[in-house]
Amino acid sequence: MNDETPNIDRSEGNEQPTSPESPDPQGPPPRRLMRSSSDKVFFGVAGGLGRYFGVDPLLFRIAFVISIFFGGLGGLAYGLLAIFVPTDGEPDRAQRAGGRLRRMGFWRALGMAAVAVLAVAGLLALAGSAAFAVAIGWGVPVAIAVIAVGALLVLAAFRGGARWLIAPAVALAIGAGVAAAADLDWSDGIGEREYAPLSAKSIPADGYRLGVGRLAVDLRHLDWNRKRVVRLDVDLGTGQADVFVPAGVCVAGSTHVGIGESEVAGERNDGVDVDHDVGSAAGALPRLELDADVDIGQLRVINSNTASVDNPGYGPGPFHEDTAPLRAAEASACAAG
Amino acid sequence: MRSRLRVDIVSLASGAVVSALGVLVLLDRAGVVDVSLGWIAVALNAAVGAIFLVSGLGGGPGRHD
Repeated sequence: MNDETPNIDRSEGNEQPTSPESPDPQGPPPRRLMRSSSDKVFFGVAGGLGRYFGVDPLLFRIAFVISIFFGGLGGLAYGLLAIFVPTDGEPDRAQRAGGRLRRMGFWRALGMAAVAVLAVAGLLALAGSAAFAVAIGWGVPVAIAVIAVGALLVLAAFRGGARWLIAPAVALAIGAGVAAAADLDWSDGIGEREYAPLSAKSIPADGYRLGVGRLAVDLRHLDWNRKRVVRLDVDLGTGQADVFVPAGVCVAGSTHVGIGESEVAGERNDGVDVDHDVGSAAGALPRLELDADVDIGQLRVINSNTASVDNPGYGPGPFHEDTAPLRAAEASACAAG
Repeated sequence: MRSRLRVDIVSLASGAVVSALGVLVLLDRAGVVDVSLGWIAVALNAAVGAIFLVSGLGGGPGRHD
Protein backbone atom coordinates (compact mmCIF):
# COMPACT_ATOMS: atom_id res chain seq x y z
CA MET A 1 0.00 0.00 0.00
CA ASN A 2 1.12 3.57 -0.65
CA ASP A 3 2.38 5.18 2.58
CA GLU A 4 0.85 8.55 1.67
CA THR A 5 -2.68 7.15 1.44
CA PRO A 6 -4.62 8.08 4.61
CA ASN A 7 -6.25 5.25 6.48
CA ILE A 8 -10.05 5.44 6.59
CA ASP A 9 -12.00 4.30 9.62
CA ARG A 10 -15.28 3.02 8.19
CA SER A 11 -16.72 1.64 11.43
CA GLU A 12 -20.15 2.86 12.52
CA GLY A 13 -20.42 5.24 9.59
CA ASN A 14 -17.32 7.09 10.61
CA GLU A 15 -15.39 7.84 7.44
CA GLN A 16 -12.80 10.18 8.98
CA PRO A 17 -9.21 9.60 8.05
CA THR A 18 -7.08 8.19 10.83
CA SER A 19 -3.41 8.68 11.26
CA PRO A 20 -1.10 5.90 10.12
CA GLU A 21 0.17 5.57 13.66
CA SER A 22 -3.26 4.89 15.24
CA PRO A 23 -3.36 1.13 15.97
CA ASP A 24 -6.33 -0.92 14.75
CA PRO A 25 -7.66 -2.73 17.83
CA GLN A 26 -8.98 -5.60 15.68
CA GLY A 27 -5.74 -5.90 13.64
CA PRO A 28 -5.68 -6.14 9.87
CA PRO A 29 -8.31 -8.46 8.37
CA PRO A 30 -6.88 -11.80 7.29
CA ARG A 31 -5.87 -11.82 3.66
CA ARG A 32 -8.12 -14.13 1.71
CA LEU A 33 -7.68 -15.48 -1.80
CA MET A 34 -10.70 -14.52 -3.89
CA ARG A 35 -11.25 -14.42 -7.61
CA SER A 36 -11.42 -10.93 -9.02
CA SER A 37 -14.71 -9.79 -10.49
CA SER A 38 -13.18 -6.62 -11.93
CA ASP A 39 -9.88 -7.85 -13.36
CA LYS A 40 -10.82 -10.97 -15.24
CA VAL A 41 -10.54 -12.62 -18.63
CA PHE A 42 -12.46 -15.82 -17.89
CA PHE A 43 -13.19 -16.38 -14.20
CA GLY A 44 -10.84 -13.88 -12.57
CA VAL A 45 -8.45 -16.53 -11.21
CA ALA A 46 -5.30 -14.77 -12.42
CA GLY A 47 -6.65 -11.39 -11.27
CA GLY A 48 -7.32 -12.79 -7.78
CA LEU A 49 -3.92 -14.50 -7.59
CA GLY A 50 -2.18 -11.31 -8.72
CA ARG A 51 -3.97 -9.28 -6.04
CA TYR A 52 -3.30 -11.89 -3.36
CA PHE A 53 0.42 -12.11 -4.08
CA GLY A 54 0.81 -8.45 -5.03
CA VAL A 55 2.11 -9.08 -8.55
CA ASP A 56 0.85 -8.32 -12.04
CA PRO A 57 -1.95 -10.80 -12.92
CA LEU A 58 -0.49 -10.95 -16.42
CA LEU A 59 2.28 -13.14 -15.03
CA PHE A 60 -0.27 -15.71 -13.86
CA ARG A 61 -2.13 -15.51 -17.18
CA ILE A 62 1.07 -16.22 -19.11
CA ALA A 63 1.96 -19.05 -16.71
CA PHE A 64 -1.48 -20.64 -17.14
CA VAL A 65 -1.30 -20.44 -20.93
CA ILE A 66 2.24 -21.85 -21.06
CA SER A 67 1.43 -24.67 -18.64
CA ILE A 68 -1.45 -25.80 -20.84
CA PHE A 69 1.11 -26.79 -23.46
CA PHE A 70 3.09 -28.84 -20.94
CA GLY A 71 0.65 -31.49 -19.89
CA GLY A 72 -2.40 -29.31 -19.35
CA LEU A 73 -1.97 -29.10 -15.58
CA GLY A 74 -2.39 -25.33 -15.72
CA GLY A 75 -5.83 -25.71 -17.29
CA LEU A 76 -6.82 -28.21 -14.60
CA ALA A 77 -5.52 -25.94 -11.85
CA TYR A 78 -7.36 -22.96 -13.35
CA GLY A 79 -10.59 -24.96 -13.48
CA LEU A 80 -10.28 -26.11 -9.87
CA LEU A 81 -9.46 -22.59 -8.67
CA ALA A 82 -12.39 -21.19 -10.63
CA ILE A 83 -14.76 -23.68 -9.00
CA PHE A 84 -13.49 -23.69 -5.44
CA VAL A 85 -12.21 -20.14 -4.90
CA PRO A 86 -15.08 -17.70 -4.34
CA THR A 87 -15.39 -14.51 -6.32
CA ASP A 88 -15.37 -11.06 -4.70
CA GLY A 89 -18.45 -10.05 -6.71
CA GLU A 90 -21.80 -11.62 -7.48
CA PRO A 91 -21.64 -15.45 -7.45
CA ASP A 92 -20.92 -16.55 -11.01
CA ARG A 93 -21.41 -19.81 -12.84
CA ALA A 94 -18.17 -21.34 -11.52
CA GLN A 95 -19.03 -20.47 -7.92
CA ARG A 96 -22.50 -21.94 -8.29
CA ALA A 97 -20.93 -25.12 -9.73
CA GLY A 98 -18.56 -25.24 -6.76
CA GLY A 99 -21.46 -24.81 -4.37
CA ARG A 100 -23.34 -27.65 -6.04
CA LEU A 101 -20.25 -29.88 -5.76
CA ARG A 102 -19.89 -29.04 -2.06
CA ARG A 103 -23.55 -29.80 -1.43
CA MET A 104 -23.23 -33.01 -3.39
CA GLY A 105 -20.66 -34.41 -1.01
CA PHE A 106 -17.22 -35.87 -1.54
CA TRP A 107 -18.11 -39.42 -2.51
CA ARG A 108 -20.82 -38.44 -4.90
CA ALA A 109 -18.56 -35.89 -6.58
CA LEU A 110 -15.84 -38.52 -6.77
CA GLY A 111 -18.33 -40.91 -8.37
CA MET A 112 -19.30 -38.30 -10.95
CA ALA A 113 -15.63 -37.64 -11.69
CA ALA A 114 -15.09 -41.39 -12.14
CA VAL A 115 -18.04 -41.54 -14.53
CA ALA A 116 -16.60 -38.62 -16.50
CA VAL A 117 -13.19 -40.30 -16.68
CA LEU A 118 -14.83 -43.54 -17.83
CA ALA A 119 -16.81 -41.64 -20.47
CA VAL A 120 -13.64 -40.03 -21.82
CA ALA A 121 -11.88 -43.40 -21.74
CA GLY A 122 -14.80 -44.93 -23.62
CA LEU A 123 -14.63 -42.26 -26.31
CA LEU A 124 -10.88 -42.78 -26.64
CA ALA A 125 -11.42 -46.53 -26.91
CA LEU A 126 -14.04 -45.96 -29.60
CA ALA A 127 -11.69 -43.71 -31.58
CA GLY A 128 -8.88 -46.22 -31.11
CA SER A 129 -11.09 -49.09 -32.26
CA ALA A 130 -12.05 -47.19 -35.40
CA ALA A 131 -8.38 -46.41 -36.09
CA PHE A 132 -7.44 -50.04 -35.49
CA ALA A 133 -10.15 -51.27 -37.85
CA VAL A 134 -8.93 -48.89 -40.57
CA ALA A 135 -5.33 -49.94 -39.95
CA ILE A 136 -6.08 -53.65 -40.45
CA GLY A 137 -7.83 -53.00 -43.74
CA TRP A 138 -11.45 -52.34 -42.80
CA GLY A 139 -11.34 -48.74 -43.93
CA VAL A 140 -14.35 -48.86 -46.24
CA PRO A 141 -16.71 -50.58 -43.76
CA VAL A 142 -15.64 -48.16 -41.03
CA ALA A 143 -16.23 -45.18 -43.34
CA ILE A 144 -19.69 -46.50 -44.18
CA ALA A 145 -20.38 -46.95 -40.46
CA VAL A 146 -19.37 -43.32 -39.82
CA ILE A 147 -21.68 -42.13 -42.60
CA ALA A 148 -24.49 -44.27 -41.21
CA VAL A 149 -24.08 -42.87 -37.70
CA GLY A 150 -24.10 -39.36 -39.15
CA ALA A 151 -27.26 -40.13 -41.09
CA LEU A 152 -28.82 -41.54 -37.92
CA LEU A 153 -28.07 -38.26 -36.15
CA VAL A 154 -29.69 -36.31 -38.99
CA LEU A 155 -32.81 -38.49 -38.84
CA ALA A 156 -32.91 -38.27 -35.06
CA ALA A 157 -32.78 -34.47 -35.33
CA PHE A 158 -36.34 -34.53 -36.70
CA ARG A 159 -37.52 -36.63 -33.76
CA GLY A 160 -36.27 -34.45 -30.95
CA GLY A 161 -32.55 -35.09 -31.44
CA ALA A 162 -30.04 -37.58 -30.11
CA ARG A 163 -27.32 -35.44 -28.62
CA TRP A 164 -25.93 -38.34 -26.58
CA LEU A 165 -24.83 -39.81 -29.91
CA ILE A 166 -22.79 -36.77 -31.00
CA ALA A 167 -19.67 -37.47 -28.93
CA PRO A 168 -19.41 -41.16 -29.90
CA ALA A 169 -20.03 -40.28 -33.56
CA VAL A 170 -17.32 -37.62 -33.53
CA ALA A 171 -14.91 -39.99 -31.74
CA LEU A 172 -15.58 -42.63 -34.40
CA ALA A 173 -14.99 -40.10 -37.18
CA ILE A 174 -11.78 -38.78 -35.58
CA GLY A 175 -10.30 -42.27 -35.16
CA ALA A 176 -11.18 -43.32 -38.70
CA GLY A 177 -10.10 -40.01 -40.20
CA VAL A 178 -6.69 -39.90 -38.54
CA ALA A 179 -5.94 -43.56 -39.35
CA ALA A 180 -7.02 -43.09 -42.96
CA ALA A 181 -5.03 -39.90 -43.41
CA ALA A 182 -1.96 -41.48 -41.85
CA ASP A 183 -2.41 -44.45 -44.22
CA LEU A 184 -2.04 -46.72 -41.24
CA ASP A 185 -1.43 -50.25 -42.42
CA TRP A 186 -0.98 -52.91 -39.78
CA SER A 187 -1.92 -55.79 -42.04
CA ASP A 188 1.76 -56.69 -42.59
CA GLY A 189 2.25 -58.14 -39.16
CA ILE A 190 3.45 -57.12 -35.72
CA GLY A 191 6.84 -57.67 -34.17
CA GLU A 192 10.52 -57.10 -34.76
CA ARG A 193 12.05 -58.00 -38.10
CA GLU A 194 15.70 -57.83 -39.03
CA TYR A 195 16.90 -58.47 -42.55
CA ALA A 196 20.51 -58.64 -43.69
CA PRO A 197 20.45 -59.68 -47.36
CA LEU A 198 23.73 -61.04 -48.72
CA SER A 199 22.92 -60.24 -52.34
CA ALA A 200 20.77 -57.69 -54.10
CA LYS A 201 18.77 -60.50 -55.70
CA SER A 202 17.56 -61.68 -52.32
CA ILE A 203 15.86 -58.35 -51.66
CA PRO A 204 12.12 -58.79 -52.34
CA ALA A 205 10.87 -56.85 -55.37
CA ASP A 206 8.22 -55.13 -53.24
CA GLY A 207 10.73 -54.47 -50.49
CA TYR A 208 10.36 -55.06 -46.79
CA ARG A 209 7.10 -54.38 -44.98
CA LEU A 210 5.90 -54.48 -41.39
CA GLY A 211 2.66 -53.41 -39.74
CA VAL A 212 3.73 -52.55 -36.20
CA GLY A 213 7.13 -52.87 -34.56
CA ARG A 214 10.75 -52.47 -35.55
CA LEU A 215 11.98 -53.18 -39.04
CA ALA A 216 15.75 -53.24 -39.54
CA VAL A 217 17.36 -53.77 -42.95
CA ASP A 218 21.13 -54.09 -42.95
CA LEU A 219 22.55 -53.68 -46.45
CA ARG A 220 26.17 -53.63 -45.35
CA HIS A 221 26.72 -57.28 -46.32
CA LEU A 222 26.03 -56.64 -49.99
CA ASP A 223 28.90 -56.56 -52.45
CA TRP A 224 28.53 -52.92 -53.41
CA ASN A 225 31.44 -53.16 -55.86
CA ARG A 226 29.55 -55.71 -57.96
CA LYS A 227 26.03 -54.30 -57.63
CA ARG A 228 26.49 -50.58 -57.90
CA VAL A 229 22.83 -49.50 -57.64
CA VAL A 230 20.39 -51.15 -55.23
CA ARG A 231 16.70 -50.31 -55.09
CA LEU A 232 14.89 -50.76 -51.80
CA ASP A 233 11.30 -50.26 -50.70
CA VAL A 234 10.56 -50.04 -46.99
CA ASP A 235 7.01 -49.76 -45.70
CA LEU A 236 6.21 -49.58 -41.98
CA GLY A 237 2.85 -48.87 -40.36
CA THR A 238 3.82 -47.86 -36.84
CA GLY A 239 7.16 -48.12 -35.13
CA GLN A 240 10.78 -47.78 -36.10
CA ALA A 241 12.39 -48.53 -39.44
CA ASP A 242 16.18 -48.63 -39.68
CA VAL A 243 18.17 -49.04 -42.88
CA PHE A 244 21.93 -49.51 -42.65
CA VAL A 245 24.30 -48.89 -45.55
CA PRO A 246 28.09 -48.57 -45.71
CA ALA A 247 29.47 -45.09 -45.29
CA GLY A 248 30.68 -45.05 -48.90
CA VAL A 249 27.21 -45.55 -50.39
CA CYS A 250 25.21 -42.56 -51.63
CA VAL A 251 21.64 -42.69 -50.29
CA ALA A 252 19.16 -41.34 -52.85
CA GLY A 253 15.40 -41.46 -53.26
CA SER A 254 12.46 -40.26 -51.23
CA THR A 255 11.12 -40.94 -47.78
CA HIS A 256 7.84 -40.15 -46.09
CA VAL A 257 6.88 -40.20 -42.42
CA GLY A 258 3.23 -39.51 -41.60
CA ILE A 259 3.78 -38.53 -37.97
CA GLY A 260 7.19 -38.72 -36.41
CA GLU A 261 10.79 -38.30 -37.34
CA SER A 262 13.05 -39.15 -40.23
CA GLU A 263 16.81 -39.17 -39.97
CA VAL A 264 18.26 -39.97 -43.33
CA ALA A 265 22.05 -40.00 -43.65
CA GLY A 266 22.30 -37.53 -40.81
CA GLU A 267 19.54 -35.18 -42.02
CA ARG A 268 16.90 -34.97 -39.31
CA ASN A 269 13.30 -33.84 -39.82
CA ASP A 270 10.25 -34.33 -37.69
CA GLY A 271 6.60 -33.41 -37.51
CA VAL A 272 3.56 -34.31 -39.57
CA ASP A 273 3.82 -35.44 -43.20
CA VAL A 274 7.61 -35.38 -43.22
CA ASP A 275 8.76 -35.79 -46.81
CA HIS A 276 12.40 -35.98 -47.65
CA ASP A 277 14.09 -36.16 -51.04
CA VAL A 278 17.48 -37.68 -50.49
CA GLY A 279 20.70 -37.57 -52.49
CA SER A 280 21.18 -34.83 -55.02
CA ALA A 281 23.60 -36.75 -57.27
CA ALA A 282 21.57 -39.28 -59.26
CA GLY A 283 24.68 -40.61 -61.00
CA ALA A 284 26.72 -41.29 -57.88
CA LEU A 285 28.01 -44.86 -57.45
CA PRO A 286 27.53 -47.00 -55.45
CA ARG A 287 24.04 -45.83 -54.70
CA LEU A 288 21.00 -46.92 -52.72
CA GLU A 289 17.73 -45.83 -54.31
CA LEU A 290 15.36 -45.80 -51.39
CA ASP A 291 11.59 -45.50 -51.27
CA ALA A 292 10.63 -45.55 -47.58
CA ASP A 293 7.26 -44.92 -45.98
CA VAL A 294 6.56 -44.88 -42.25
CA ASP A 295 3.01 -44.02 -41.16
CA ILE A 296 3.71 -43.23 -37.52
CA GLY A 297 7.12 -43.47 -35.91
CA GLN A 298 10.72 -43.08 -36.86
CA LEU A 299 12.71 -43.75 -39.98
CA ARG A 300 16.49 -43.87 -39.77
CA VAL A 301 18.86 -44.44 -42.67
CA ILE A 302 22.28 -44.87 -41.12
CA ASN A 303 25.26 -44.73 -43.44
CA SER A 304 27.88 -46.01 -41.04
CA ASN A 305 30.22 -48.98 -41.17
CA THR A 306 30.28 -49.38 -37.42
CA ALA A 307 26.76 -48.61 -36.12
CA SER A 308 25.16 -51.54 -34.31
CA VAL A 309 21.88 -52.87 -35.70
CA ASP A 310 20.44 -53.36 -32.23
CA ASN A 311 21.56 -50.02 -30.83
CA PRO A 312 22.79 -47.70 -33.57
CA GLY A 313 23.17 -44.74 -31.24
CA TYR A 314 21.47 -42.29 -33.57
CA GLY A 315 18.06 -40.71 -33.21
CA PRO A 316 16.38 -38.05 -31.08
CA GLY A 317 17.65 -36.95 -27.71
CA PRO A 318 20.74 -35.34 -26.25
CA PHE A 319 22.61 -38.58 -25.51
CA HIS A 320 22.89 -39.76 -29.08
CA GLU A 321 25.71 -39.67 -31.55
CA ASP A 322 26.46 -36.55 -33.51
CA THR A 323 25.10 -37.01 -37.02
CA ALA A 324 27.71 -34.74 -38.64
CA PRO A 325 29.90 -37.73 -39.69
CA LEU A 326 26.86 -39.28 -41.42
CA ARG A 327 26.18 -36.06 -43.33
CA ALA A 328 29.84 -35.79 -44.29
CA ALA A 329 29.90 -39.41 -45.48
CA GLU A 330 26.73 -38.85 -47.53
CA ALA A 331 28.15 -35.72 -49.13
CA SER A 332 31.37 -37.52 -49.99
CA ALA A 333 29.61 -40.63 -51.33
CA CYS A 334 27.15 -38.67 -53.44
CA ALA A 335 29.95 -36.54 -54.89
CA ALA A 336 31.79 -39.65 -56.10
CA GLY A 337 30.61 -41.27 -59.28
CA MET B 1 -54.36 -27.20 -35.50
CA ARG B 2 -51.15 -27.79 -37.45
CA SER B 3 -48.28 -29.24 -35.39
CA ARG B 4 -44.90 -27.62 -35.94
CA LEU B 5 -42.00 -29.94 -36.85
CA ARG B 6 -39.39 -29.88 -34.10
CA VAL B 7 -35.82 -30.09 -35.40
CA ASP B 8 -32.84 -30.33 -33.10
CA ILE B 9 -30.42 -28.15 -35.01
CA VAL B 10 -27.37 -29.43 -33.06
CA SER B 11 -28.08 -33.07 -33.89
CA LEU B 12 -28.78 -32.08 -37.49
CA ALA B 13 -25.52 -30.18 -37.91
CA SER B 14 -23.51 -32.84 -36.08
CA GLY B 15 -24.98 -35.58 -38.24
CA ALA B 16 -24.17 -33.68 -41.41
CA VAL B 17 -20.61 -32.99 -40.26
CA VAL B 18 -19.99 -36.61 -39.19
CA SER B 19 -21.40 -37.90 -42.46
CA ALA B 20 -19.14 -35.53 -44.39
CA LEU B 21 -16.13 -36.85 -42.48
CA GLY B 22 -17.25 -40.40 -43.25
CA VAL B 23 -17.46 -39.56 -46.96
CA LEU B 24 -13.94 -38.10 -46.78
CA VAL B 25 -12.63 -41.32 -45.19
CA LEU B 26 -14.50 -43.41 -47.76
CA LEU B 27 -13.03 -41.43 -50.67
CA ASP B 28 -9.56 -41.77 -49.16
CA ARG B 29 -9.89 -45.51 -48.67
CA ALA B 30 -11.29 -45.92 -52.18
CA GLY B 31 -8.28 -44.09 -53.56
CA VAL B 32 -10.30 -41.24 -55.05
CA VAL B 33 -8.56 -38.62 -52.93
CA ASP B 34 -5.42 -38.76 -50.84
CA VAL B 35 -6.12 -37.00 -47.57
CA SER B 36 -2.97 -36.01 -45.72
CA LEU B 37 -2.70 -35.70 -41.97
CA GLY B 38 -2.48 -31.93 -42.31
CA TRP B 39 -5.78 -31.75 -44.16
CA ILE B 40 -7.56 -34.20 -41.88
CA ALA B 41 -6.46 -32.10 -38.91
CA VAL B 42 -8.03 -29.06 -40.54
CA ALA B 43 -11.20 -30.99 -41.40
CA LEU B 44 -11.57 -32.43 -37.89
CA ASN B 45 -10.98 -29.07 -36.24
CA ALA B 46 -13.50 -27.45 -38.56
CA ALA B 47 -16.01 -30.23 -37.85
CA VAL B 48 -15.73 -30.01 -34.07
CA GLY B 49 -15.70 -26.22 -34.28
CA ALA B 50 -18.86 -26.21 -36.37
CA ILE B 51 -20.64 -28.43 -33.84
CA PHE B 52 -19.59 -26.19 -30.96
CA LEU B 53 -20.59 -23.11 -32.94
CA VAL B 54 -24.06 -24.42 -33.73
CA SER B 55 -24.48 -25.64 -30.17
CA GLY B 56 -23.38 -22.31 -28.74
CA LEU B 57 -25.19 -20.00 -31.12
CA GLY B 58 -28.58 -21.44 -31.60
CA GLY B 59 -29.00 -24.85 -30.18
CA GLY B 60 -28.40 -24.80 -26.48
CA PRO B 61 -29.80 -27.60 -24.35
CA GLY B 62 -33.47 -28.12 -24.96
CA ARG B 63 -33.70 -25.53 -27.69
CA HIS B 64 -35.38 -26.67 -30.86
CA ASP B 65 -36.40 -24.86 -34.03
